Amino acid sequence: MTLSGDAVYAPSENIVAREIEGEIIIVPLVAGIGDMEDELFTLNETGKAVWDKLDGRRSLYQVISELAAQYQAAEGEIDKDVLGLVAELVRRRMLVAVEPA
Amino acid sequence: MSLPSPTVQELLRAVLDRGIPCRFRALGFSMHPFIRDGDVVTVSPKPGGEIRLGDVVAFCHPGTGKLMVHRVLARQPGGYLLRGDNAPAADGLIPPEKVLGPVTRVERKGRKVRLGRGPERRLLAWLARRDLLRPLIFRAWQVLHPLTWRSPA
Repeated sequence: MTLSGDAVYAPSENIVAREIEGEIIIVPLVAGIGDMEDELFTLNETGKAVWDKLDGRRSLYQVISELAAQYQAAEGEIDKDVLGLVAELVRRRMLVAVEPA
Repeated sequence: MSLPSPTVQELLRAVLDRGIPCRFRALGFSMHPFIRDGDVVTVSPKPGGEIRLGDVVAFCHPGTGKLMVHRVLARQPGGYLLRGDNAPAADGLIPPEKVLGPVTRVERKGRKVRLGRGPERRLLAWLARRDLLRPLIFRAWQVLHPLTWRSPA
């Protein structure tokens, strides 16, 4: 999957996500049922930092730039991780591309 | 994935609050044999009408805070009398707001299990209220599984 840096993503309506003890736990809605048995997905602290910025307003470029500043890291160090996580969440239909707000 | 009970409860509430059923693995033996350890249950949002006598429901025990799945034996002022089919005693009166919703599906090894939630549920509730269900289950187990039963020495 190729992601565009200008693309904007937001959580899908077909999930329920909750922050629990510093992690994000995502329950996907499969065929109209919240599936906590087969499809649960957990984001650790780093994943949560990325998830919190995917709010339908920031492009992926902006997300990477902000995280680099937040963690005082080079953008080239974190962009692969960010894009990899976003690609996985899109593949699982937990994130969807949206028009910039 | 194994989740601690408070986490399961919070997620379950979050999904049910959206008006959507939620599916998760049940652990324990208090509803054996109708719901067994490891069965996957689906809990639906509370129906517009009352929870029915004999329904199996998910609830948060007010004393322990644990998420549990047990059967409705009676509706009384103040709440529902609940008890596990294989539990030695009732849970006591559970306030309606602690009841999250009825179990609408049970899966065991990929197959649907209906026993205990059909019309027979009212009979099971009647037997449980009179402390007759658990001995009956035990006796049935002795008869059906003689090879696994050994008389005490």
